[in-house]
Amino acid sequence: MPDDMQDFTRAVRDFLDAHAPRAAEPGQFRWGEGDDRVAYFSADPPEAEERKLDAARGWQRIRYENGFGWISGPPEYGGRGLTPLHELLYDAIESEYEVPDTGTLSVIGLGMIGPTILAHGQPASKDRYLPAMYRGDVIACQLFSEPAAGSDLASLQTRAVPGDGGWVLDGQKVWTSVAQHSQIGMALCRTDPDAPKHQGITAFLVDMGAPGVEVRPLRQMTGGADFNEVFLTGVRVPDDHRLGEVGDGWRVALTTLMNERATVGGEGSGPAAGVLSPERLSALMRATWTWDDRALRRDLSGLLADVMATGCLNARAARRMQAGVAPGPEMSVAKLMYAQNLTRAAHFVSHLLGPRIIADTGEWGTYAWAELLLATPALRILGGTEEIMKNILAERVLGLPKEPGIDTRSPFRDLPRSPSPGGRA
Amino acid sequence: MTDTKEDLDELREAVRDFLAAKSPQSAVRAAMETERHHDPAVWEQMARQLRLPGLAIPDEYGGDGFGLTELGVVLEEMGAALLCSPFFATVVLAAQSLLASGDEAACARYLPGIAAGQTIATLAAAEGNASWDPAMVTTRAHHVTGGGGWVLTGKKNFVIDGAIADLVLVVARSTAGPALFAVDRGAPGLRAEPMTTLDPTRAMAVLTLEQVPAALVGAEGQGGRLMSRVLDLACAALAAEQAGGARRCLEMSAAYARTRYQFGRPIGSFQAVKHKCADMLVRVELAEAAAREAGRLADEGAADFPAAAAAAHICCSQGYLFAATENIQVHGGTGFTWEHPAHLYFRRAKSAELMFGGPAVYHERLLDRLGI
Repeated sequence: MPDDMQDFTRAVRDFLDAHAPRAAEPGQFRWGEGDDRVAYFSADPPEAEERKLDAARGWQRIRYENGFGWISGPPEYGGRGLTPLHELLYDAIESEYEVPDTGTLSVIGLGMIGPTILAHGQPASKDRYLPAMYRGDVIACQLFSEPAAGSDLASLQTRAVPGDGGWVLDGQKVWTSVAQHSQIGMALCRTDPDAPKHQGITAFLVDMGAPGVEVRPLRQMTGGADFNEVFLTGVRVPDDHRLGEVGDGWRVALTTLMNERATVGGEGSGPAAGVLSPERLSALMRATWTWDDRALRRDLSGLLADVMATGCLNARAARRMQAGVAPGPEMSVAKLMYAQNLTRAAHFVSHLLGPRIIADTGEWGTYAWAELLLATPALRILGGTEEIMKNILAERVLGLPKEPGIDTRSPFRDLPRSPSPGGRA
Repeated sequence: MTDTKEDLDELREAVRDFLAAKSPQSAVRAAMETERHHDPAVWEQMARQLRLPGLAIPDEYGGDGFGLTELGVVLEEMGAALLCSPFFATVVLAAQSLLASGDEAACARYLPGIAAGQTIATLAAAEGNASWDPAMVTTRAHHVTGGGGWVLTGKKNFVIDGAIADLVLVVARSTAGPALFAVDRGAPGLRAEPMTTLDPTRAMAVLTLEQVPAALVGAEGQGGRLMSRVLDLACAALAAEQAGGARRCLEMSAAYARTRYQFGRPIGSFQAVKHKCADMLVRVELAEAAAREAGRLADEGAADFPAAAAAAHICCSQGYLFAATENIQVHGGTGFTWEHPAHLYFRRAKSAELMFGGPAVYHERLLDRLGI
């Protein structure tokens, strides 16, 4: 490990030792003891969610005041001026301590939108938002996906037209995480429908409290509402809230999305952590009297072998980062495998439980798995669908050619698109 | 010890260059048709120029004292090149059995010859029922009254390079239970018959033992514990070889998908082919990570090494077979010809998957090693 990394490691440990207890070793899993919830999405009641949010803001402020709020950020905006590798190293060390989960602030806002504002924002927005975000005061969301623009994000239709000395936005965004908690949102809008689709887009920072912004919870198939729809109706945005040049929004969006790739994948401590442990799954097999079933034992072993190998990939990426080397494709592969492993685990467990996962008997640790089972389809979609991830791996790692015939030259307004959603169920 | 990535890269490059020169496909095909199933000149150069047989043998026995991490690099490259060689039998199975026995006299007697590339050795464990479980061994060991020696009687199957080995380590049962015995080539009563193998790049033999004089290695009755350790090490080493073979299949497929045109486009631009290659990449990355982690844990003497080795064995068996199978599909009709190397990888992958028993036993082994 390079010297400065060692000094940094020491500084991180000193800070954490002073402000947080060490995380307890995960205790031996015992059937029937403790919380039996197995959920990927939070599904907390609103009061609990508020409490967690307050704790998250409080911890982010402590990080900020001690120089760890924005490790890779420039000092003039409250950053420490180090590298993204230092940031990853900090995360790895912090995971050994018992601290509030700051995901609501950090995954989208601090991880993706902050770096985008820094790279493309105008001085007024940088001064106003960057220190406030990294201090934990301002939460940001990402207004990207639309009902008709999913994997093909560049086909978005939300319009921004000049007006009132700034811009006026109209359109609909969807799958917006944390919009209900956010003070600002980063919106991609079409400013020139006559240009080819990637060239007519402009990015803006939108005040989520402005008139015409409406956030509606989006209920997903688990029954909970962990995302939102955001409707923009005549929303006024001053021109100094524009990110990058007019028509250059796609490049701005790529900055945001590249930072996403760095944050997704390290799911070891994710919301469903512990679900895949050999102890937990074998305890469930014993409790359901299936431990001697040879077919199910094989299923368990095959699943655990992949889970362990995925862990090796994550460990390898972590070791590379600590040695100051950028990780290879293992992060993307680990993300794909994490989704597959968790999906496979949920179905495996359903086979152990049998009817106890289709109707609630009230027995501890049984019907609770339904939440995870219903969440698993999302894992193969969010953060890039499996199909898009495979295209990226094959094209960037294996050098396979892109699909020809994808129209990047015709004016956006002439491109064929899906029928309008009026007729859908 | 090489503990930096640069050193390992240097080793990898040296082995890769050596194999590119000495074991191109034409040489593999020539060697697999010969009676010995390897080129003795290459074996000798490998020992003299690169000191590979002694790489993971301790210094005091004439080796260079490296671990499974370094040996894994070599095995990955050998697997990628489909090298026909008694390396795996000699350096992994036999040498690791001797080391695991803790029998210093036996190590001092046999390991220097192995390290120098002068002794070809192997391990004879499985019998007619193909099981590597020492509890299933029926070959008998009898104490020779008065002499202090032993004689073995029985029949061993699937003995890798058994027809050419100078030294055969035999798992046999005495009244105290299974134990390991050393048999020299040419010992009276020992007969070796080559087997016809699915994978022509790896030779196997049937050994028939009739009152064959043998020397006990380690202690009587310790064969159970010893074989458990040897299987963990062998699985981890085989995993490296499998990961290397799988990686080569992926490279072949990606190269072909980039350059083969149909319907006026490189076939790799079709998502059906592109995603097949991406799926191969995923399984190859997993296999490689699992194999290297197992090697690392072995060298650290970590308590979770046996579980990691069992997991790597599963992942690498599945990953290699998947990559070798899909490689043929990506190549289409060309991939099904005798001239194309794809079938040699398929044969090696299938053979490696089942060498130590396959899914019928490796799943139970993982659950056992996890202690759940």
